[in-house]
Amino acid sequence: MACGVAPGISRASALALAPGLHLQERTPALEDAALIDIATWAGRFTSSISLDPPDTLLLEIQASLRLFGGLAPLCAAIAENLEELGFAGQLAVAPTPLAARWLARCAPGSLIDSNASLAVALDPLPVAVLGDGHDAATPASLDLLTGIGAHVLADVRRLPRSGLARRHARAVTAQLDRAYARVPDPRPWFVPPERYAARLPLPAPTDQVDTLLFGVRRLLTGLSGWLDARQAGLERFTLVLEYERHRQGHEGREEPHEIVLGALSRDMARCQLLAREHLTRSPLPAPVDALRLEADAPRLLTPPRSDLFDGDDGRQGDPGLLLATLRARLGHDAVRCLAAHPDHRPERAWRWIDPPPERNVTPAGLPDLPSSPRPLWLLATPRPIARPATENLLAGPERIEAGWWDGPEATVNRDYFVARSHDDSLVWIFQERQPPHGWFVHGYFS
Amino acid sequence: MATPAALSASALAALDHLVWRGDRLATEAAPGRPTGHPDLDAVLPGGGWPAGALTELLIPHFGVGELGLLLPQLCNIPAGRWGVCIAPPGLPYAPALAAAGVPLGRLLLVHAESPAHARWACRQALASRSCEIVLLWLAEADMAALRRLQLAAEDSGTPLILLRPAHVAAQASPAVLRLGLSADRGGLQVRVLKRRGPLLAAPLHLPLPWPGLTPRPDAPLSEGHSPGVPPSRLPPNTNASVHALVRPRPARSGPASLHAGAQ
Repeated sequence: MACGVAPGISRASALALAPGLHLQERTPALEDAALIDIATWAGRFTSSISLDPPDTLLLEIQASLRLFGGLAPLCAAIAENLEELGFAGQLAVAPTPLAARWLARCAPGSLIDSNASLAVALDPLPVAVLGDGHDAATPASLDLLTGIGAHVLADVRRLPRSGLARRHARAVTAQLDRAYARVPDPRPWFVPPERYAARLPLPAPTDQVDTLLFGVRRLLTGLSGWLDARQAGLERFTLVLEYERHRQGHEGREEPHEIVLGALSRDMARCQLLAREHLTRSPLPAPVDALRLEADAPRLLTPPRSDLFDGDDGRQGDPGLLLATLRARLGHDAVRCLAAHPDHRPERAWRWIDPPPERNVTPAGLPDLPSSPRPLWLLATPRPIARPATENLLAGPERIEAGWWDGPEATVNRDYFVARSHDDSLVWIFQERQPPHGWFVHGYFS
Repeated sequence: MATPAALSASALAALDHLVWRGDRLATEAAPGRPTGHPDLDAVLPGGGWPAGALTELLIPHFGVGELGLLLPQLCNIPAGRWGVCIAPPGLPYAPALAAAGVPLGRLLLVHAESPAHARWACRQALASRSCEIVLLWLAEADMAALRRLQLAAEDSGTPLILLRPAHVAAQASPAVLRLGLSADRGGLQVRVLKRRGPLLAAPLHLPLPWPGLTPRPDAPLSEGHSPGVPPSRLPPNTNASVHALVRPRPARSGPASLHAGAQ
């Protein structure tokens, strides 16, 4: 722009002005995808959305005005949110979709909320807008209008309708009727996708987590709109990092990160936090070209009832969030709970389990266990020891002989004793009943 | 009507926690969590584990009785809260914990690849404010790391129990309470190494609960058998099911320890 390159000039003159100019082909498919992304996101403001390709999105906001506190706050919220999503937009409000489109193009910022002021706002618009929008007037009709001296819409309205119809310019009157709310202008509603997927190509490949998180926040803004529209929450989503697409001769690689939220949620701060933990967990193998976010299986989420008197919320944390945070950084299997398992073999009398949701905890359901003492610590593999002195064996033997059904390795055939070790702590030791009758420490009574 | 002397005494008492005199236990602004061992509570400032502070337990090796000492805390984890064990050196044995009444579904075991990961997990657990107690096994840590943990514990109001090897007793530590633990006949010997109060010269002997139906096999001389008696001369165990463990026992309704002496 600083060199004098302006919209509308030819490619040759632009290159003459700025020889280093990087030219980018226009990709209509990407533009359509972006429009659909924005439409999906816009579901947070209204459920009645209509695409008006190539570059316009129509939101019917009458029903949302009260929720957002009026026209001006709603427009401000849309503009601010759109910026967060990474797009710049021009907004206009009008009683008819076509008028809103024309005003957004020619007089962005207009807020027309009655049919009376609609005509006043539309009359000074240039005739060229008639060529905009679907079922638009043909260029020939526009030439005709300018040829007879009509420059603004007010001039066109004064022309006789029958005359326009005779000159094959019926589309002009149809456009005007729709824009001035004389005939209805129904539009097909946009249906948001069942499965959320958004892709964000990064301007330059990067391996900086902070830069990636900036992109992630952008994607999460879109996701949050999609969830808001469905009044749903997610339990997990997938963040895909795409590598090395920019390098010649390289098949692009991608690495999915499944981010588990720990609870049904549409709290984007939580998603962002967990995404950060995932990305900082291990160094990135290569610069990332693009981010992709995929989510499905949204479930209806009733927002938590907030306390009028704001009780001691600050004291009580979110147990699910802690679990999700720890698992995001340390790995899923690094954070688990224990459970007792009814088996007589000590090494099989317990299991790792996923922490149960609190409502499923049944403290009464203790498994059927022997009542003889068991140590609080168990050694994963029994440690061989010398034959202990007889006076140090305090209790026992307790014979455990089980597991033949699991094969010879899993068979246990031992005599267990409670013994005192050299420093007076109590240990759980056993003697194998098969030769060579070795002695082992298997646990510590804490 | 109160006399002026009584008034001034009560006013002084109200300000007492601001000034600590070296010859007596500090009165903490926040009372501690009772340890479940009355003898120990009596010698701790605040009458229990300090809440929102770092406590160090120094143990010669794992299994001397540290879990037994902490069992009352682990049993009292309310619903919707966690007890967190970070980087335990061994495997806490689920059947024994369940029999002691620990709600296993509320006890998170965190495996950490490195001490840095363990400290990170610990700070997360404290910051989440969703934990009733946090146990962290940490062998080596410098003063700055310990100080960060102490600050995190202060912010959260959660008791943080650090279990460290006995040889670090000589190193300085920001912990408000340091206890040296060692095994003892019939329980646990506790030496108070550091507290907000006068030195406690004599170690404390705490009897630890024994999980079985029989009395603790190494109970002190006065209570049970002489420790020198060979096992064949132990009081005969008449409970046949203890010996024939292959046969499953009928389901019982409560933890075994509650029915001590019932059979």
